[in-house]
Amino acid sequence: MIQCRNRRAAALAAALSFPVVACEFHPGAEELSYALNRPVIEQNQDLARDPGAQAQLAGALEMLFGTAASPRFLAEPEWVEGGFDPNYWGEDLVKNDDALRTSLEASNRTTFAAQIAAIEAGRFDAVVRPRHADDLWGWWEELKAEKSDDAAGLKSEGVALFAEYYPSLRASAALYRNQCYHCHGAEGGGNGSTSAFLEPRPRDYRPGKFKFTALKGKARPRHEDLFRILAEGIYTTAMPSFRRFSDAQLHGLVDYVRLLSIRGETEILLASFYEPDEGLNFANVQENYLDVVSKWRAAPEQLIAFDGTIPASTPERIAHGRALFTTPGDKGGANCVSCHGEGGRGDGPSVNDPKQSTDDWGRPIAPRDLTRGVYRFGRRPIDLFRRIYAGINGTPMPEHIGMTITENGQQRTMTEDDIWDLVFFVRSLATHTPAVAQHGGGHGGDLGGGH
Amino acid sequence: MAALKHFLLRVVVTLLLLAVPVLGVWTFTEADRWGLWFPPMVSSYGGSIDKLFYLILWMVTVTFVGTEALLVWFVFRYSKKDPTRAIFTHGNHKLEMVWTAIPAVLLVIVAISQMEAWTTVKMNFPEDGPYTREKPLMEVYASQFDWRVRYPDAQGNFTGADVIEVPYDITVPEDTKVVLRLKSRDVLHSFFVPTFRLKQDAVPGMEIPVWFEATEPGSYDLICAELCGWGHYKMAGKIHVLPKDEFDAWLAAKRAALYATD
Amino acid sequence: MSHAHAPAHPARPLGIDPPGTVHTTHEHHELGFVRKYVFSTDHKVIGLQFLFTGLVMLLLGGLMAMAIRWQLAYPWTEMPVLGRLLFPATGGVTTPEGYTMLFTMHGTLMIFFVIIPLLTGTFGNYLIPLMIGAPDMAFPRLNMLGYWFWWPGIACILLSFGAEGGGPAAGWTSYPPLSTIEAAAPGSNWGQNWWLLSLTFVGVSSMMGAVNYVTTIVKMRAPGMTFFRLPLSIWGLMIAALLQLFALPVLTAASFMQLFDRVFDAGFFTPTGTIINNTSPETLGNAAGGHPLLWQHLFWFYSHPAVYILVLPAMGFVSDILSVHARKPIFGYKPMAYSMAGIAGLGFIVWGHHMFMSGMNPAVGLVFMTATIMIALPSAVKVFNWLGTLWGARIHLTSAMLFAIAFVSMFIIGGLSGIWMASTPVDIYIHDTYIVVAHFHYVVFAGSMMAIFAAIYHWFPKMFGRAMSEKLGVIHFVGTFITLNGVFYMMHQLGLAGLMRRTADPYDYATYAHLQPINQFISWCAFALLAWQVFFVVNFFGSMIWGRRVGRNPWNACSLEWETPSPPGHGNFDRQLAVYHGPYEYGVPDAPRDFVPQTQRAHV
Repeated sequence: MIQCRNRRAAALAAALSFPVVACEFHPGAEELSYALNRPVIEQNQDLARDPGAQAQLAGALEMLFGTAASPRFLAEPEWVEGGFDPNYWGEDLVKNDDALRTSLEASNRTTFAAQIAAIEAGRFDAVVRPRHADDLWGWWEELKAEKSDDAAGLKSEGVALFAEYYPSLRASAALYRNQCYHCHGAEGGGNGSTSAFLEPRPRDYRPGKFKFTALKGKARPRHEDLFRILAEGIYTTAMPSFRRFSDAQLHGLVDYVRLLSIRGETEILLASFYEPDEGLNFANVQENYLDVVSKWRAAPEQLIAFDGTIPASTPERIAHGRALFTTPGDKGGANCVSCHGEGGRGDGPSVNDPKQSTDDWGRPIAPRDLTRGVYRFGRRPIDLFRRIYAGINGTPMPEHIGMTITENGQQRTMTEDDIWDLVFFVRSLATHTPAVAQHGGGHGGDLGGGH
Repeated sequence: MAALKHFLLRVVVTLLLLAVPVLGVWTFTEADRWGLWFPPMVSSYGGSIDKLFYLILWMVTVTFVGTEALLVWFVFRYSKKDPTRAIFTHGNHKLEMVWTAIPAVLLVIVAISQMEAWTTVKMNFPEDGPYTREKPLMEVYASQFDWRVRYPDAQGNFTGADVIEVPYDITVPEDTKVVLRLKSRDVLHSFFVPTFRLKQDAVPGMEIPVWFEATEPGSYDLICAELCGWGHYKMAGKIHVLPKDEFDAWLAAKRAALYATD
Repeated sequence: MSHAHAPAHPARPLGIDPPGTVHTTHEHHELGFVRKYVFSTDHKVIGLQFLFTGLVMLLLGGLMAMAIRWQLAYPWTEMPVLGRLLFPATGGVTTPEGYTMLFTMHGTLMIFFVIIPLLTGTFGNYLIPLMIGAPDMAFPRLNMLGYWFWWPGIACILLSFGAEGGGPAAGWTSYPPLSTIEAAAPGSNWGQNWWLLSLTFVGVSSMMGAVNYVTTIVKMRAPGMTFFRLPLSIWGLMIAALLQLFALPVLTAASFMQLFDRVFDAGFFTPTGTIINNTSPETLGNAAGGHPLLWQHLFWFYSHPAVYILVLPAMGFVSDILSVHARKPIFGYKPMAYSMAGIAGLGFIVWGHHMFMSGMNPAVGLVFMTATIMIALPSAVKVFNWLGTLWGARIHLTSAMLFAIAFVSMFIIGGLSGIWMASTPVDIYIHDTYIVVAHFHYVVFAGSMMAIFAAIYHWFPKMFGRAMSEKLGVIHFVGTFITLNGVFYMMHQLGLAGLMRRTADPYDYATYAHLQPINQFISWCAFALLAWQVFFVVNFFGSMIWGRRVGRNPWNACSLEWETPSPPGHGNFDRQLAVYHGPYEYGVPDAPRDFVPQTQRAHV
């Protein structure tokens, strides 16, 4: 908690009376606890009227997922046999991938440069406690005690400890509380104290619905997808880039968000399907838990993969893209114009349709102004490809692969080439810089909710 | 007894007043060792700013020590216990002139010696060189609560889908006069790079050019320096200074990575 | 020229008594309790009303400061005592938006509800008629209205705490668009509107007072009281009142413009095309095409002279108190008076130094820089003259004197640190860092607040007819002096390390990661500083009831207020007044006592 980092400052402080107290004084904050998802419970009258069952539900969730201060997954025997432990979900993924592991280590060596330098110089007591890494500090103290008489061993293992650091769920929960909780809420319900003042609202993880993935079929996101959101932020929303934290910390946060989402979805399933005669028995609970986790494990299979190089954009392909874009659905086109408008400015006729103007979380939503060159999910051609291919989960933006279109009097379904044509056309629309305040004139301030 | 109490009071008060210049100067001399001093300076014009700071520091320290010392001495020396009356004077015209003229001269020196540094940073933008106000290296977008930069595409356009957009990590070449264009999406922010000795408010409704030349490779904090809302404290960025050829390679790699398929 | 007899009920064509009119207390009909102590037109009662109300607001502003210091020492932990009051939803942990509210309210309360009322409201009201020899202010009913106009301002600021979205959160400087666009900050809902209304009421209250002060000083001085025989307290108060009169209307106008932006979507300060929280204010009906810098110019045009309002009366009081307790005339009376006028005059042309980084034309920055550098000169002259006053003196280390000496010592620090900020290139680095915070807290807290304590200790006997305890006063001084320096001095170094203002948790930046221990030290000093004020509270209220009774002139001072009974009755003076010389005849060599009051001919 306290960084008595600078020894001389601490000495100065200790020389005067009160700060001696201050250095030893470690105030804390009340531990967060997971509350039940009340709106979902209220929807099931049997459960809503039965506090005993609700307590059972809370107990079941705690059995599966631990508490907000000490979260952890219950590791099912069949997983363990297959070599999978959700408590090390991200860690196994990262450490088994060469590229990810290398960049993790590089990032750790930068973040903990001071600590590693101190260890390599043998100044083991001059190692400063890093912020937001209580587990690492605990492991270091243990190692120091264990190897108190083996300087060489302490040196090599100490450096390895810092360089290969991957946060535990506990440490990630602490970081989440520090950085994310005030928007996303303790259970990840997007209902923290600041959330009421934000537009769009922070994501509610509990339904397991995420907008920006590289996957089709409304699949749960991959580890890399969530990592990307943390690293890049989502421009034009209140979600900033969190690159000021290390890669390890971001990976850890992904693990914790995954836990929150799985917990939330399990809770929704259990609450929705609760029946008084069946009750909340272990088999029931386990079935739903396994179901949700398997959906997440299956994510990588749904990747919209693309082999080879991005095709070249030609004027013909752009023209074809324009035709698909601007032709409404009833005339056999891809119908983009109904939402995005003729010029792609997000002013199509659907903005007047209330059904088309709300997302799955009940919030107002508007189509993106494509002339700005702002793409919340990623701006690479492959990202646009995936977005048009799979749509945006939870919003009126539909999946386009396999959509029925009519060309030259013939009906057919959209292919990947068609989607690339749309991609090229959309990219050609980006003739303005992102909306910023201007002094008079300019493109004006239009920017609806967007996706 | 009363005399002793009064003497004690005089001593205590004198020591308290004496502590002001003594501790005041001591904490400044030790500040660097405690990590409470300027971060290293790595820009071409930062040196003139630091020099000006030190000039003023010296003048201020001399004045500070001198006036506080006089105060301490007078408070200790001129006690009510002296049975004679105070020196009965309403002032000294000559003294007034002296202690008006000398500070005036010193202040004029301070005023004149700082003009060049100011015009250098805020008014003398590079005219020749790879980056100018019309063709900046990048556009900086400040918003609640994120720093994002856009490098132009290979043709030098800041619009179009091939623009490179990077959040948080702002990479610039070393030893090059870099110009950037500062914009704000919503409210006031401020682009503050302590190691460059650079600060400029980002004003919504204005596009403000900013220039600097970084002299050392490394990674330096970018901090928002104007209250912009509840997230002001975490509106961070990092400026990475790369040697010129590494920078060119980096930008080329970024352009290529746009067309990656992973 | 003197009046031989004062008519019992003189003709009052303007409602003002002619100079030198003497009233006797039994002349007036007996007033009930409410007319005597609540809705009173007696300047002394009004002065005390400002004093008590101001001290309560000081406590409130101080609690905000404690909350800020807790967060900076132990970010995101449960704050004791205040935590659950301010942040019940998070179990007493400061929220990010709550922090922005804390420093906004701290600054607003301290400037508009503490220092200005305590300096000008309390002592302006109490001292002016007494020191110039007048029976009351020129416009007693306007005076009363001025105090009671303050209360709606207090009500509005207290209401803003409870507004939806919380209190105003755009800083006491309230820069648009953060303050004008509702979506930009939670506090920019009704909280900000209450803030603007509050400032309007406070401004009107101040202007009423200022009109009164200037008129009274110009028109109602006793016979023989020329301008250059006025105590420097009066000079300070008069010049501050002139500053109020000329600068406040600009703030009031700007506040209305901002209110119009917020309530009527006027668009004075709203640029075209802002997107906040994904909505363009224009789609919600706001006019645009405005400029945020316009607010900054208007705001600082008032707020810079305001800082001289915060300090000039204090300088005046310190001059008087030093002279009395050092038994020596003020050194360089005329230079002192002219310096105050110079500071005020120059103070009107330096407002842009708050805006060096704002994006205004850099050439304009050079102009403001020159004027700002010049303003250091009269302040320096004043410091030298105070030192000259102490040289060769016979110093009585009373509580009042201790605080007055401390003012000089601390003002030196505050004034000198200002030179770095005046220097525009250096300001590039230090603008919005903790050096600025150190600078203004040294001049306003370590300066003006010390002067306010000095003035309270010095004039308490006159106000209440009893002495305050010197022992408690010395204890109060020693602890306050030590802890306040502990709080604010190291902020200079923190600012040099680059620590930004108004940041709820700076420690995630590599640049600031190691600054937490020193911030903890500062916070503990701050908690001790607040706790230590108990010595003052006990002394102040206890002495009112049990203090040793004193006569008219316990300090053996020269100025006119010491001619009256302690406390003075209605009408103040119970005998004819004529003034023969200035108020600083102390240590006069051949005089029978070591001072010659103003109403006594100087020993030739």
